[in-house]
Amino acid sequence: MMSKKVDVLIIGSGHAGGMAAKVLTERGVECLMLNAGPVADVTRQAREESAYQLPFRGFKPPGKLEHVFQANEFNTSVWVDEQEVPYTFDPAHPYNWVRVRLFGGRSLFWSRQSFRLSDYEFKAKSHDGFGEDWPLDHAELSPYYARVEEIFRVVGALDGPPQMPDGNFILDDAPWSGSMQRFRKAAKSLGVPLCKQRRATGRDGLASSVNLLLPDAERTGRLTSIENAVVREITTDKNTGQPNGCRFVDRLSHREMEVQARVVVLAAGTLESTRLLLNSGLANSSGLVGRYLCDQIYGAGLVCSVPEARGSRGDKSLMGGGAIIPRFRNITDKSSKFLRGYALNVTSATGPLGASNFTEYGEALDRKMAEYAGSGFHMTIMGEVLARYENHVRINRQKTDAWGIPVLHIETQYTDNEYNMAADAVDTMSQVAHDAGFEVLASNKVPNPPGYSIHEVGTCRMGNDRKQSVLNRWSQSHDHKNLWVVDGAGFTSAGWQNPTMTILALAMRAAEHLADEMKQGNV
Amino acid sequence: MERREVLRALAVLAITPRWLQAQQNTNAAPVLPAPVPWTQGLNPLTPLPHTVAEDAVAQTVPAYFSSTQRRTLSRLADALVPRTAQHPGALDAGTPEFLDFLIGHSPAARGGLYTSGLDWLEAQAQASFKRPFAQLDAAQVESLVKPWLRTWMTDHPPTQTHADFINIAHADIRTATINSQVWFAALDAHARENTLQLYWSPIEPDLYAMRPESMHTRPVPGNLMQPVRPKAE
Repeated sequence: MMSKKVDVLIIGSGHAGGMAAKVLTERGVECLMLNAGPVADVTRQAREESAYQLPFRGFKPPGKLEHVFQANEFNTSVWVDEQEVPYTFDPAHPYNWVRVRLFGGRSLFWSRQSFRLSDYEFKAKSHDGFGEDWPLDHAELSPYYARVEEIFRVVGALDGPPQMPDGNFILDDAPWSGSMQRFRKAAKSLGVPLCKQRRATGRDGLASSVNLLLPDAERTGRLTSIENAVVREITTDKNTGQPNGCRFVDRLSHREMEVQARVVVLAAGTLESTRLLLNSGLANSSGLVGRYLCDQIYGAGLVCSVPEARGSRGDKSLMGGGAIIPRFRNITDKSSKFLRGYALNVTSATGPLGASNFTEYGEALDRKMAEYAGSGFHMTIMGEVLARYENHVRINRQKTDAWGIPVLHIETQYTDNEYNMAADAVDTMSQVAHDAGFEVLASNKVPNPPGYSIHEVGTCRMGNDRKQSVLNRWSQSHDHKNLWVVDGAGFTSAGWQNPTMTILALAMRAAEHLADEMKQGNV
Repeated sequence: MERREVLRALAVLAITPRWLQAQQNTNAAPVLPAPVPWTQGLNPLTPLPHTVAEDAVAQTVPAYFSSTQRRTLSRLADALVPRTAQHPGALDAGTPEFLDFLIGHSPAARGGLYTSGLDWLEAQAQASFKRPFAQLDAAQVESLVKPWLRTWMTDHPPTQTHADFINIAHADIRTATINSQVWFAALDAHARENTLQLYWSPIEPDLYAMRPESMHTRPVPGNLMQPVRPKAE
């Protein structure tokens, strides 16, 4: 039987794995990529339907994907089934782990918001004393961000304050709509900045690993990929104790396989990479693998109505467009209620407003919805969750997934820091909306459960002190020089920003350094 | 391998019929003496039979709610989404019966919300008007329902007792009605097109995971297949 030792084994095919594959293969390194799920082919596996044609009239199939609020009957099949790959938690503190195992992972479905972290995140401890600083800063990562922004064709304006560094953008010079101008003016008077959204446009309507990264790797002829390869554990050399490949199980046949590699790069998504390390008993001399799980609070926000736009009277000069309010708390001032801060997505919408924005029913509700149609103005929070030691994942030896692999137990909860942040966001935005002349229809101060943002990061944080971190400043294990973790697990703190651009920039930087180290014989 | 052996192997390949070189289906049934092998015939030119959604011709057989709960739900659904000149109503859409099916197959907490909520509405009707909720007029229904309506954002329905049931049921009744076959049938062509969304079929489902040795990770047997019945009246 043929058994080939590959240069680099990459586990995971999303943004992190795709970037690692692109960079490494373009530098002459032979790579093998394993992905736990199948390749999704929209031409074979998807079709247009109306909800009435589906078995559950568009409702999420009962009992399925209870913790994936994003799921509905149309997209049920793209998410990881919670019964097939379970995880456990204290019912009093639920966790919404939202997973995609299709080839390309969550890069197939992300929201494409594209922000850099600033030194308010990289050097957060220096700023406010909490947690740890990252072992790098914005200046060091900036050239990588710029190259990522070019690949992903990020559209934005150069209007960011210091806490939202500008980048290598396709410039957005579209004028603000009237409703946005009013909101912006009202926000400014309260010291709240409003900037243009920053969004990866990609190519052909998609900004994913599968269309922006993997084709480059495949063109080199140095990337071999296997779908449906569920990695059970990273294997180690009996003599050296260093990683030397992995064991995986074929998802469909359940045939056990193994493969050997000089270097292992984990890019399975924050918690799956960490689960693999824990199940393999690797990289954990610090005891911190699984610790400092964090993300962002989502779910709090407001729905407003712009009076002049009601009855679909608002044209493009009044309605439409998106904006971002970057974090503005604890930058130049100091809140007594919480550390760090939150951002808000702001949307001026021209469609109908949902029924739950009105306390009416029947024909009275029909009239109300017609009256308010086209006047929606929405604000939703993205608030930094502090990286705390006690928020962690560990292996639950009592439960396994469909392939007999022990599952994760997730133990995390929000604190008053997050709840106070959400309340402050809603109170502040209510004031801005009122000052702008908008009517607040609905608001919510309660964050969704942890995990909902799909921005879970940490659990293998990077740092210079090997006793206080799992990875070094290059995303390389302190314990094993041939083991690298290039996804969100390496984050030292979450920030308020969507993490994708930072994951990509860190993966690019790590892979370049790995290629150099391999060339010099250090790995 | 010796060069001579390689050449011999290549020579064998050259004279082997193509069907022998093809990968074999070891479980294939023996070819029976039929004019056409079983699996041949279907091809891209095969016309696809036209089918309709079952709701166009058939009714759901209710199995979950008690008869009183069912009557209460029907009255509530009719009040919340009545038939108007512009659109069909919840009763036209078979919404109460559909929700009997959907809620009956849902986790127990969702079922409990409905059964306790419907029982509470019935008790309120008896207490206030000495009549079943199903026989209340529009003003009486409004007096019991409207005080509990709240505004709320996605994923955050009210948590207050009674307000939770009224607002969640309202949303469910609207969704089940708007996503029904009769609602679709009443739309014009443009509006019908706007209802289309990308539906994903299962993508290479792992059939092995359904085998008995993997059942420890599957839903509790019966959870998805049989409705959980509330207490009898």
